[in-house]
Amino acid sequence: MNRGDPETDARRRFGTLCEGLRPDLLRFAFWLGRDRQLAEDVVQEAMLRAWKSFGALEDETKAKSWLLTIVRREFARSFEKKRLEVADLDALVAAEAPVLAAEDDGDLAAMREALFRLDDDYREPLVLQVMMGYTTQEIADLMGLQQGAVLTRLFRGRARLRHLLGLAPESAP
Amino acid sequence: MTGCLEFRRQAGAEPARSGPEFDAHRRECPACARYQDELRAMDALMRRALAVDAARLALPKPRAAGSGDGRQRWYALAASVVMAVAAGLVLLTSAPRESVAREVLDHVAHEPGALTASQPVAPAALAGVLDPDGTRLRPGIGDVSFAARCVHQGHVVPHLVLRRPEGAVTVLILRHRTVDGPLRFEENGFAGVVLPAPRGSIAVVGRDHPDLEGVARQVFEAVDWGDTIPAAG
Repeated sequence: MNRGDPETDARRRFGTLCEGLRPDLLRFAFWLGRDRQLAEDVVQEAMLRAWKSFGALEDETKAKSWLLTIVRREFARSFEKKRLEVADLDALVAAEAPVLAAEDDGDLAAMREALFRLDDDYREPLVLQVMMGYTTQEIADLMGLQQGAVLTRLFRGRARLRHLLGLAPESAP
Repeated sequence: MTGCLEFRRQAGAEPARSGPEFDAHRRECPACARYQDELRAMDALMRRALAVDAARLALPKPRAAGSGDGRQRWYALAASVVMAVAAGLVLLTSAPRESVAREVLDHVAHEPGALTASQPVAPAALAGVLDPDGTRLRPGIGDVSFAARCVHQGHVVPHLVLRRPEGAVTVLILRHRTVDGPLRFEENGFAGVVLPAPRGSIAVVGRDHPDLEGVARQVFEAVDWGDTIPAAG
C-alpha cells in the first residue's frame, strides 16, 4: 500500500474516521430532520465539507464533535435553503413509518413516534444526551447554549415525552 | 437540602444523576425515587428507539419492472450486464457528462499515488478493505497493488488497483451508487466503465487499455458480492 503519499494517508485516515462515525452521524441527522433523504444529503454534504477542512482538525480524538458540528450547520443550511416547513406531523410519521416500526415491540414504536412529535428544541438535546452520550456541558457547547438552558430543555423534553407516551399529564414534573 | 421539586427537575434533566444530597432525598422520598426509576426506564427505551439500524435509514431503491424475487431479478440483471458487455458497450459519450463518471475520474485523478504503488497488497489487508462491504475478490484476476477504503462523495468505498498484463486498472466498488445500465466514458487518456452491480455499481478505470470492456467484465465476475441480495422492493 502506498503509505508515503500524504494525500493518500490523509484520505485513508479520513476514510477510517468517517466510516466509524457515519452511522451515528446519519442517525443524528435523521432524528434532527426526521427525513431519511434529508439526513443522507446533509451527511454527504457535511463529509465533503469536512474533507475540505480536514487539515484544520488538530486533534482527531475530537473528530466526532467536529463532524457533529458540521452536520448541524449543514442541516441548518439545508433547512434554510429548502425552506422546509414541518406542518403535518402525521405525514412525517407516515413517511418514515419503515424506520419507526419496531416488530413485536409496541413500546419501541411508540417511543419513536413520540420522539418524532417532540419539538426540535427538546429532541436535539435528548438525542445528543441519550444516543450520543454527551454531558450537558458538551451539549451546551455544541448547541451554543448555556448549560442551564440545556438542563431546562432536557427536563421539559422528558416531561413532554412522558405526556406523549401517556405516562403522566404534561404539567406533572 | 434537595426538595421534591428540585429533585425532579434535576432527575428530569439527567436521570442517571447522583450526588450526596440528591441521593439522600431519593432515600427519604419513595415517590421521587419511583419517579427517577421511571425516567431511567424511559431513557433505556429511548436509547433503543434512537439507535435505529443504519441499514434502515438507507433509502429504498426503485423497484425494477416485472415480478420475481430479488435473486431472480439479480440473475436477470447479471445476465443483462454480461450480454451488454459481451456485445460491446455502447459508447454513451466521449466526455463524462454523467455525474458518476465525473466522480470516478475525479477520485482517480486525486489519488495518483494509488496507481504508482507496485507491491502486492497482503491478503489480510485486502480483506480488511473488502470485508466491511461484504465482498471478496476471487483469485486470478490480477495482483492487487493498492487497496484502501476511501471517501468518495461522502461515502466510504473500496478502492483497488489491479495489475493486469495489459496494464493497471482502478476499481471502485460503489455500493451507494446505482446506474441504470452500463456506462462508458473517456477523458484525458483515461477510459472507464461503470456497471450495475448487485449492490450499487462497480467502476473500472484504465489508461490506454486496448480492451477495457473485457477487463471490466472479468473484474465484475471476479467480485464475490456475498450472500446479500438486494431486498425485494
